[in-house]
Amino acid sequence: MNPSLAVIFLTLFSGAGFGLMATVAVVNDFAIDGGLSPLRTAILVALALLLVTMGMVSSTAHLANPKNAWRAFTRWRTSWLAREGVFAVLFYPVAIAYLGWVFFTNTDRDGVALALGNAAALIGLITIFCQGMIYACLRTIRQWHTPLVPANFYALGLALGMTVLATSRVLARGHDLVLVSTASALLVAAAVMKAIYYFWIGAPSGTTLQTATGFTRGRVRLLDQGHTFGTFLTHEFSNSISPVRARYFKIGVYLLGFLAPIAILLLATRTPIGLTVLLAPVLAFIGIGLERYLFFVEAQHVVNLYHGRMPGPLPQMHPALRAHAADALSAGKPGRLVPSYEKR
Amino acid sequence: MRLGLVIDLDTCVGCHACATACKEWNTSAITAPLTDYDPYGKEPSGVWFNRIRHYEIGEYPNNKTINFPMSCMHCENAECVTVCPTGASYKRPEDGIVLVDQDKCMGCNYCSWACPYGARELDRESGTMKKCTLCVDRIYDEALPAEERQPACVLACPAHARLFGDLDDPESTTSRAVRERGGYALMPELNYSPTNHYLPPRTRPSISTSDLPRGSLARKVKEWVNRVVER
Amino acid sequence: MSAAHQGEHHSEQEIKYSTCYMCACRCGIKVTIEDNRVRFIQGNRNHPINKGVLCAKGSAGIMKQCSPARLRSPLMRKPGSERGSGEFVEISWDQALDMLTERLARIRATDPNKFAFFTGRDQMQALSRLFAEQFGTLNWSAHGGFCSVNMAAAGLYTLGYAFWEFGDPDWDRTKYFMLWGVAEDHNSNPMKIGIEKLKSRGGKFVGINPARTGYQAVADEWVPIRPGTDAMLALSMVHVLLSRELFDWEFLIRYTNAPFLVVQTPGEKGDGLIYRDEAGHPLAWDLKKEAFVNGLDASCHPALFGEHTTPDGRTVKTVMTLLAERYLNERFAPENAAKICGVPAGTIERLALEMAHIAFKETIEIPVEWTDWAGRKHDKFIGRPVSMHAMRGVSAHSNGFQAARAIHFLQILLGTIDCPGGFRAKAPYPRPVPAPGKPARHSAPNTPLDAHPLGFPTAPEDLVIDDEGRPLRIDKAYSWEAPIANHGLMHMVITNAVKGDPYPIDTLLFFMANMAWNSSMNTANIQDMLREKGPDGEYKIPFLVVVDAFHSETVHFADLVLPDTTYLERYDAISLLDRPISEPDAVCDSIRHPLLALDRDVRPWQEVLVELSTRLKLPAFTNPDGTPKYKGYKDFITYYEREPGIGFLAGYRGADGSKSLRGEPNPQQWERYIENQGFFQYHLPKGIRYMRFANQGYLEFAKEAGFLKTAEPIIIELYSEAIQRFRLAGLGLYDGPMPKERVDQERLATYFDPLPDYYEPLEQQRVDKDEYPFFAVNQRPMMMYHSWDSQNAWLRQIIAQNHLYMNRARGESLGFKDEDWVWVESHNGKIRVQLRLIEGCQEDTVWTWNAIGKQSGTWGLKPGAPEATQGFLMNHLISELLPEKPGERRLTNSDPITGQAAWYDLRVKVTRAAPGEEGVWPTFANVPPLPGAPAKPDVLRYNTRVKA
Repeated sequence: MNPSLAVIFLTLFSGAGFGLMATVAVVNDFAIDGGLSPLRTAILVALALLLVTMGMVSSTAHLANPKNAWRAFTRWRTSWLAREGVFAVLFYPVAIAYLGWVFFTNTDRDGVALALGNAAALIGLITIFCQGMIYACLRTIRQWHTPLVPANFYALGLALGMTVLATSRVLARGHDLVLVSTASALLVAAAVMKAIYYFWIGAPSGTTLQTATGFTRGRVRLLDQGHTFGTFLTHEFSNSISPVRARYFKIGVYLLGFLAPIAILLLATRTPIGLTVLLAPVLAFIGIGLERYLFFVEAQHVVNLYHGRMPGPLPQMHPALRAHAADALSAGKPGRLVPSYEKR
Repeated sequence: MRLGLVIDLDTCVGCHACATACKEWNTSAITAPLTDYDPYGKEPSGVWFNRIRHYEIGEYPNNKTINFPMSCMHCENAECVTVCPTGASYKRPEDGIVLVDQDKCMGCNYCSWACPYGARELDRESGTMKKCTLCVDRIYDEALPAEERQPACVLACPAHARLFGDLDDPESTTSRAVRERGGYALMPELNYSPTNHYLPPRTRPSISTSDLPRGSLARKVKEWVNRVVER
Repeated sequence: MSAAHQGEHHSEQEIKYSTCYMCACRCGIKVTIEDNRVRFIQGNRNHPINKGVLCAKGSAGIMKQCSPARLRSPLMRKPGSERGSGEFVEISWDQALDMLTERLARIRATDPNKFAFFTGRDQMQALSRLFAEQFGTLNWSAHGGFCSVNMAAAGLYTLGYAFWEFGDPDWDRTKYFMLWGVAEDHNSNPMKIGIEKLKSRGGKFVGINPARTGYQAVADEWVPIRPGTDAMLALSMVHVLLSRELFDWEFLIRYTNAPFLVVQTPGEKGDGLIYRDEAGHPLAWDLKKEAFVNGLDASCHPALFGEHTTPDGRTVKTVMTLLAERYLNERFAPENAAKICGVPAGTIERLALEMAHIAFKETIEIPVEWTDWAGRKHDKFIGRPVSMHAMRGVSAHSNGFQAARAIHFLQILLGTIDCPGGFRAKAPYPRPVPAPGKPARHSAPNTPLDAHPLGFPTAPEDLVIDDEGRPLRIDKAYSWEAPIANHGLMHMVITNAVKGDPYPIDTLLFFMANMAWNSSMNTANIQDMLREKGPDGEYKIPFLVVVDAFHSETVHFADLVLPDTTYLERYDAISLLDRPISEPDAVCDSIRHPLLALDRDVRPWQEVLVELSTRLKLPAFTNPDGTPKYKGYKDFITYYEREPGIGFLAGYRGADGSKSLRGEPNPQQWERYIENQGFFQYHLPKGIRYMRFANQGYLEFAKEAGFLKTAEPIIIELYSEAIQRFRLAGLGLYDGPMPKERVDQERLATYFDPLPDYYEPLEQQRVDKDEYPFFAVNQRPMMMYHSWDSQNAWLRQIIAQNHLYMNRARGESLGFKDEDWVWVESHNGKIRVQLRLIEGCQEDTVWTWNAIGKQSGTWGLKPGAPEATQGFLMNHLISELLPEKPGERRLTNSDPITGQAAWYDLRVKVTRAAPGEEGVWPTFANVPPLPGAPAKPDVLRYNTRVKA
């Protein structure tokens, strides 16, 4: 799938924003490590709103005809995209009310604050679920059609939110083992979830060009795709990544998205590192941004079969063979596995 | 009623007549125009509702070339409609045709993601998703002669490899062809229940030649016995 | 959406009927017009050719109509600029025609042959031929010499009709259809309709072709054959049929020259000629009388086989005996043929037997009474439902004439000629074998020719050579080098004119022929020749006039450009006197008429030709008092009569339009055609639809309609005495002109075989097959026609780059992979192209789509268009001349019998390009835009709903 920045930013930032809102609410609910100060709460909720807004605004860049964007809520009964829109919009009044209440009453522990905070958190979590389901409901894209997608969105959103929250606590107090540990645990959990996902998408797919065309008795090869240059379909669906590159990207995801933030946060609990701790969320965003890029670019729409492309980056092959083929590919050897007919 | 197409892979010669006729009709029809990008330049491209791909099955010399036209299948479970957030995509209850209301579409591409058949193409100029309308503006247009109230692709197809009809009606030519020729839908495992079907290439029984006389190669020409035939 | 169709502006639309010209198939079209723009082009359901369907080209006519490549006004090469620099100035029509008239008048008054007029995809050849004839130049022909003359000539010298325009399989009844070679770009829709009919009836379709694309894709059996070996395959099947006595005795005896006796006196004059009585009648041996009798006598009982001695002591054998002796030879046994064709022996035998089974065991009958030529009544037509079609794949080889004859032999032995289910003729065919009419030989100042420039030689006396044996035509057609060049040798014109061999010319006019690009062999050299100057600084071809509707590569080299209209903007007659569109059951012709108003300063070429004829006062166009006979093209078509009552259009004749085929001119004829959806068809009565070569009813009808001069039966010639006469001339055994040069003698003796045989294509005889291991051929994609479609904004989206295709296993064994850049090298040159490995390609063959490659800047394309950067022509590899041989003059790379350009004879080697060597080579300089050329849009949003 086309890894457009608009959708990468949408899911990345809004997921982090909703995750931040949820972690703020939970920390305050249970006064974990003493909870947050009203000012800190207000700042973090404002930050959550900012992140969500960044995501939402960037998503409109993805629309070819944004003047009709207002219609996007009408099909909430069937469309996860509409539902996402509905809940994302619902999030704003509640979250703003919460922010206002906390800011103006300077309390985040009374019943109204807790109620508003939890309501905003819940709506945010529902929105993350809707976001996950936007992808997970598509039977056309095997890499997305799995409960692992909303689960991952949750894990990554909460981990990012908690990383932001913990960073803010570290900045405020110098060091704080409880929230940092929580953030680290969520990052580890997200890393494990992602590992499960990466393992899962490597499994073979049942749909092939043979089954897609109905000619199951012989090998089927593309002779000509019927157009010399790209079309909307090839532009939108034909992106792929070589296995070697994907592996490097995944190492980047783990290093930047999970390991580095944990290390920086843990380091900050031992040694004062000042503003350097900000690197933790920044690297987490970069790493998980990479993850989101991979999420799109590794996703192979079934229509690619009709263009003679494999459903995924070499999924059917034994890992040893896969490495071999990858080497061959990187050495510019036969392009049959990832045909180069595509001109764009 | 479930209107759709049946494509005969036994006779489709891959001439792209259907695709071009479609382009021609629809560039001035209800979702007009079908924009072309860089039409005289380096990478000509454009919006088409019907594309023909060509495949090779098997290996030389036992290979077969298959020409494979694909357009909207007007699925019973049209996920493209389900996922559309704006209500622009809809399936007509009366005949099952899936359409996109150009006035409502916001161009989010989501419906195209949901379509396994590559039937939807975004027009970058209008910012809206466009797709096969089954020539809804022909098939009900009473100003046209009755025999022309068919999709443009079906009218054009020189090999008559495209049949149009009601696949709900067991007696329609389309339903009968599917029944008699083992017509199949694409990617049934996805459960979209496409209306359009494909007829596989016919298998032909071999021609017996055992009833022919067996002459002898050794026979010399001069020994041929002439037959008396009046000129 | 109940409002779904409300947007259609029916009230503002007009429906008009005309004839398509996106290719030469000439389908009927129904065009919806809105505000002088085309809303929709669809097939005309009532039209005999396409019956409502339309191909991709036809539907893309809209894009041709809005092509930025359309020429806009007459152009003259800028004075002082070099030819081919692309510097033009716009001039008025008056200036252009004054200039041309002055020049042509001067040539006509001195030596009319200095004007050479060659037309390409002209569909009004009868008019351009008439112009040349009236002008008095021998130097006219159309493009058949590089297209399909082998096909046409073989048919006309054997059956009296031929594939495509002259005959069709009986699609409604045939049960077995064998397609030989490439056919996709011609006979487009009828063949697709027919294949579907055949398949839906359960018939079998066998495709014989080195590549499995196009129609071959849906073939029930694909027979990958080595290019150029079709004759051997066909004759090996003949071997199988003969060896098992599987042939139609009655058919051969009654309708062919199989029982005629042939004189066998090797080394003597008269050897190999038909044994005739004093009146010239061919003799046969009567089995009842046991005597020589007139073989044309209806009551004789001729022996099919036998050898006899004539009263004067000469040995004679029947044609069939010679045929059996020839083809029963082990040389033609399937196992030996297999080594040449690459088709397994078992397959050859099985295919022959399958056809025999269908012909003889699945015979069909149509219970219709008919009378044969001898007046005998029959109560039914007997059909042997095997049919065939062949086109360029067989034709464009230097052995194509004999290969096409060999294919006809199969059909004749099986008795499938013009019978139900067989291969049927289309009016005005069949014609006598060989067709009447000899080529014109004499040209004189200010004098029309005494015959058509093209004709059908049957003996060396008919050649167009001078007393010394030198060619009289610029293309050397009808010379010893190409004695029965029925369509001329357009591919040799530039080369010969530049060499001044046989003589220099003054003015060369090309109509609709892209001779500076894909229609010439050896493209780059041809471009150089067009620029070549003599020591006097004058161009070797002093004046080049190009008539076209679009900015082709050839326009770029013109001194004068006369812009034509598109097919939607003019009157045209698709005439029975020309290239017919008849169907087997009906005599048909059709017209075009202007559907759209002109938006540029262009004129229909036909109109210009009539005006030029008038200005030059050519007799057929001028009254005795010097006034013009015709007001213009439309008027000319209405009133011109070739013979009383026979004009260009056969329908709605007679003063009131009530007469068909023959009748006095009807002033309202065009209007009647327009009312009748642009075509005319005369359905043949059922009793004259089959066996027309010997069907008395038909023969008499054809005589009345002007198709035939007499109602004599047409005798199918298995044995070609005409060909043998040329062979005798080569052997020095002819009473008449004989060639002086050894090479001509050898060619005549070797290739002018009265019975078809296989010989290795000429170029291949001269190249090292180990060095050049691959055969290289071209095919045309169905959605494109010649070079015209590169400009088509829709069609070029489908294909704008061609690849070289190679068999996958063969390619992999040589270390190639998909998308490799490779060098392809022939004896004549090399090109760099991109490779694709496919299954559907014979192992020893590489092929590509023809005419995708373009010169940058032409055809309305922007610089950098992939047609110029990634598309390529194979033409660069092909020479118009055979490889040189010491002590021999340079010979045309053409069929030695017909002069058909042998552009499928190519052999090449393929090697991987060095790393970094990418992109096609050679490339050509970008052609600058013409004056007034419109801007090329970046985005095209064609839509008749929006007012222009």
